[in-house]
Amino acid sequence: MHFIGKDMDQYLSQKDYVDTAVVPLLQLDLSEAGLKSSAGASEYLQSLTALLEKQFKGRILLFPPVAYAKSTDRLRLSNELSIEMKKADFKHVFYMTTDAEWRSVEELKNVLWLPAIPTEHMDRNFKQSVMEDQLRQVLPLFLKEWS
Amino acid sequence: MSNNRVSRRQFLGYTLTGVGGFMAAGMLMPMVRFAVDPVLQQKDGGDFVLTDQRAEDITEEPVRVDFTFEQTDAWYVSEVTNSAWVYREGDKLIALSPVCKHLGCTVNWAGDPEHPTQFFCPCHAGRYEKNGQNIAGTPPLGPLDEYLVEEQDGYVAIGAVRPNTLV
Repeated sequence: MHFIGKDMDQYLSQKDYVDTAVVPLLQLDLSEAGLKSSAGASEYLQSLTALLEKQFKGRILLFPPVAYAKSTDRLRLSNELSIEMKKADFKHVFYMTTDAEWRSVEELKNVLWLPAIPTEHMDRNFKQSVMEDQLRQVLPLFLKEWS
Repeated sequence: MSNNRVSRRQFLGYTLTGVGGFMAAGMLMPMVRFAVDPVLQQKDGGDFVLTDQRAEDITEEPVRVDFTFEQTDAWYVSEVTNSAWVYREGDKLIALSPVCKHLGCTVNWAGDPEHPTQFFCPCHAGRYEKNGQNIAGTPPLGPLDEYLVEEQDGYVAIGAVRPNTLV
């Protein structure tokens, strides 16, 4: 489910089944050198999480990407996010990111780090198949956590 | 020169009839246009979306067929790719929607190794028979929806979704 009003009604009535939150973590780098790759990573992350939501619509709640500046203190952000996530009764919380700095933040559980693939020059069919390949890498991690 | 002289009364009568006729036409024309509008509406090709799956390659084993169409969501136009599970029964093509009737996940054919001839939903282990019939005891409460499907120039074309007619 998406974090939109219409899906929230269904979420609230089916809370037992929708037990997993997915939070995309998105680094904003607006320097001249980083702008393009930051935007590409954003596109990649949002395509991938949208595909994931389509596959697991009835079990995950996909949050909008949490965007933060490059200089943000990851530890503080992760603490604040975890506290907020605890207010809802999710059994599993996944964070998905392309930002390598999260790999050193050990306090946050279930961070799926994926290297971003630039998809801007791909045609639609090729992009679709690349993203589905990426999705296939992620699916087992979810199934393992759930089982 | 005509000898029929038009009297003032006649002249006013003609003029009023003419102007009144225009006004009446001005009111009636839109009404008539609205009334016959449904007949004039054009149907665009029956809303079938052509896929790149060859119809002759479809066997009795369901395969996933993707199809893409444009979807307008308020002001936001996006290309949406959906898929269908298509298989052949006799000489008829059958296309089932992959959307689980429980909470809308995507089901897969033979997704569960223990049930290789069923559709499987990975979210809450819902299962369906090949014809879309939900299996009692699993979470889904109804059969998978069905797509209208036809063969166009040797390729599979997918149409509107409708409730399952096979079970």
